Amino acid sequence: MDLDFTAEQMEFRDEVRTWLTEHAPTEPRPHLDAAAMREYDLAWQRTQWDGGWAGIAWPERYGGRGLTLVQQLIWYEEYARAGLPSVDACFVGLNHAGPTLITTATEEQKNFHLPRILRGEDVWCQGFSEPGAGSDLAALSTRAELDGDEFVVTGQKIWTSFAMIADYQELLVRTDRDGAKKHHGITWLICDMRSPGIEVRPIETIEGGAEFCEVFYDEVRIPVANVVGERDKGWRVAMSTLSFERGTAYTASQVRLSDTVEKLIDLARERTGPDGRRPAIADDELSRRLATARAEVAALRAMTYAGICRNLRSDTPGPEGSMLKLYYAEIAKRVARLAMDILGADGLRATSRWDRPFGWSGNYLYSFSTSIGGGTSEIQRNIIGDRVLGLPR
Amino acid sequence: MDLLSSADQLELARVAAEFFTEQSPIGAIRDRRDEPGAVSRKLWSAGADLGLLGLSAAEDIGGAGLDLEDEALLFRELGRRLVPGPFLSSVLGARVAALGGQADLARSIVDGEVLVGLALRRDGEPGGGGPVEGTFALFDTPDTRYVLVADPSGAGLLDTASLAEVQTTECIDPGTRLAYGRADGVVPLCWVPAEDDPIRSRGLVLASAVLVGIAEAARDLSVEHAKTRVQFGRPIGVNQAIKHACVDMAVASEAAWEQTLFAAISLRSGRADAEFQVLAANVVAGRAAIDNAAATIQVHGGMGFTYEHDAHLYLKRAHVIEQFFGSTRDQLDDLLSQEAAQ
Repeated sequence: MDLDFTAEQMEFRDEVRTWLTEHAPTEPRPHLDAAAMREYDLAWQRTQWDGGWAGIAWPERYGGRGLTLVQQLIWYEEYARAGLPSVDACFVGLNHAGPTLITTATEEQKNFHLPRILRGEDVWCQGFSEPGAGSDLAALSTRAELDGDEFVVTGQKIWTSFAMIADYQELLVRTDRDGAKKHHGITWLICDMRSPGIEVRPIETIEGGAEFCEVFYDEVRIPVANVVGERDKGWRVAMSTLSFERGTAYTASQVRLSDTVEKLIDLARERTGPDGRRPAIADDELSRRLATARAEVAALRAMTYAGICRNLRSDTPGPEGSMLKLYYAEIAKRVARLAMDILGADGLRATSRWDRPFGWSGNYLYSFSTSIGGGTSEIQRNIIGDRVLGLPR
Repeated sequence: MDLLSSADQLELARVAAEFFTEQSPIGAIRDRRDEPGAVSRKLWSAGADLGLLGLSAAEDIGGAGLDLEDEALLFRELGRRLVPGPFLSSVLGARVAALGGQADLARSIVDGEVLVGLALRRDGEPGGGGPVEGTFALFDTPDTRYVLVADPSGAGLLDTASLAEVQTTECIDPGTRLAYGRADGVVPLCWVPAEDDPIRSRGLVLASAVLVGIAEAARDLSVEHAKTRVQFGRPIGVNQAIKHACVDMAVASEAAWEQTLFAAISLRSGRADAEFQVLAANVVAGRAAIDNAAATIQVHGGMGFTYEHDAHLYLKRAHVIEQFFGSTRDQLDDLLSQEAAQ
């Protein structure tokens, strides 16, 4: 066992660090204007592509670097260390749709979409949840009727981040309504968001985010050639998509969380604490919560490293990814709440998590999404209970 | 970077697990409740013959010369089966003796002839190698010739017989023998400064491994019960209140184990943030062990509240081990004073 990086990996780290210093965007991310946000995220993705840093662990034949998850980890670590913003508009393409297409799509689909995602040409969004199908995702009812070589899709999706600026969507539809089992008859489609019949409406979130949407489909025509995997067997594809989200996709957030904890410790050293005299870090309760956060974030990293070691032996993350996501969400929420307790009344000023140096109140409100998005913590617990521990259902 | 166990390591853990399951069933803790020592000399010698006391000891004193992470795997198995006796203090004691110029003593500890108990400081200033003063909580000292004192400044061995006013008292854990006593200027037989070898940090790693083992065993006990106990016509594990409690135990165990391994490797390989990692491991492992053991009592309902059931034994041992080398509160304060992790 060892924690050492090889000489080659350390050289890679040096290259990443140097390149990020020279090329990282210096402008703050425009988080209130969707179109500007799209431009910002795609421009930065294009810069990464031009520098040869896009798709580090993706296969070379689709434009990736063909390296391992260890190099991908190094990239995330350096990225977070440099204090760079997460590129949310590119998240679904890079961490969701991309990995799913790599394992499941046809060569034609891969050859078209994967390089476009890496080059920062397309924004992808996710069309899974519906008003009547949240945690019970398999209850989805957006229907697709076959008409020649096209599906005609009618229904509604919700909680779709970046739908208003997206080019494509990973869309789950019901292609068979007669099946006895609701998990059968679901199909994973690539939906062109510019298709006629699509209407996107924004949903305001508790932290004032401008990317949340609901999407309405009124007889939207999608070619049969856009099916990913097999028709009616999209549930399995969707589960692999989600296992990517719950596994490796969170690596960047985990690394960033450890950075957040250190920033918070600095803040507690600078600010006057609850007694009005000594710094906040001298307060027993706050200091122990900070130290606990340090310990938990360290353990989260150890879990991430161990997960990467296991992933090097198998391409698709298993249900253990749910453990990482669950642990991450709980810690992220506690850390965000701790910041509010350290700031006291000063924390009440409305901020955005995109603010620099740090928008603590925005970060706090956003943190509530970590145990809801990508499957609630309760659903993660069900998955772990059923599939890892083998508990009865 | 590799955090996965090798085939050799898995084999080592399997052999140890098999030995403890056969030779040291958990029920024996209840049987030996009124014996002076928590562990029989027969079991102790058998363990020594198997090499369990010298896994990381140098070969010239009869050890196997393996790494700290290998030893962590062994101590995790000790924790899972609540193996009684002064294993942790004897393994560290052999190291202190070897590094302190007492090779013969080190060899006889590894051989199982000499046992070393643990003296946990309650008050008094750490002496830094000079005469030791202060009062101590003494763990598993019956049958021992020495006790290990491990302060942040270093670690040494004191003659057990040199301790004064030793008051034996019943420990909450029937698998641990507890006493309180005083050292009045006792000169250590040998002393190893922390800068020469971080004995206390090694102790924290191995204690964390025991705590992980306890956390995992409590998880397994709960999961098994949740699958087999039927109420309202169905196994209780179908209910999210029980299922999710089991899952939280699993996540806490997993996080604590990966961090303990990370800490063991950090300490062994001399990473700059090794102390940070060790303290973090002890915090998450201590919490996982106590929380999981407490939760397994709840999952077992009335049965979990009986002396006959094993659930309380995990909780009690977790509380004992969590105190080793300083409580979680102490570790938290130390952790916050560290530089950020690497």
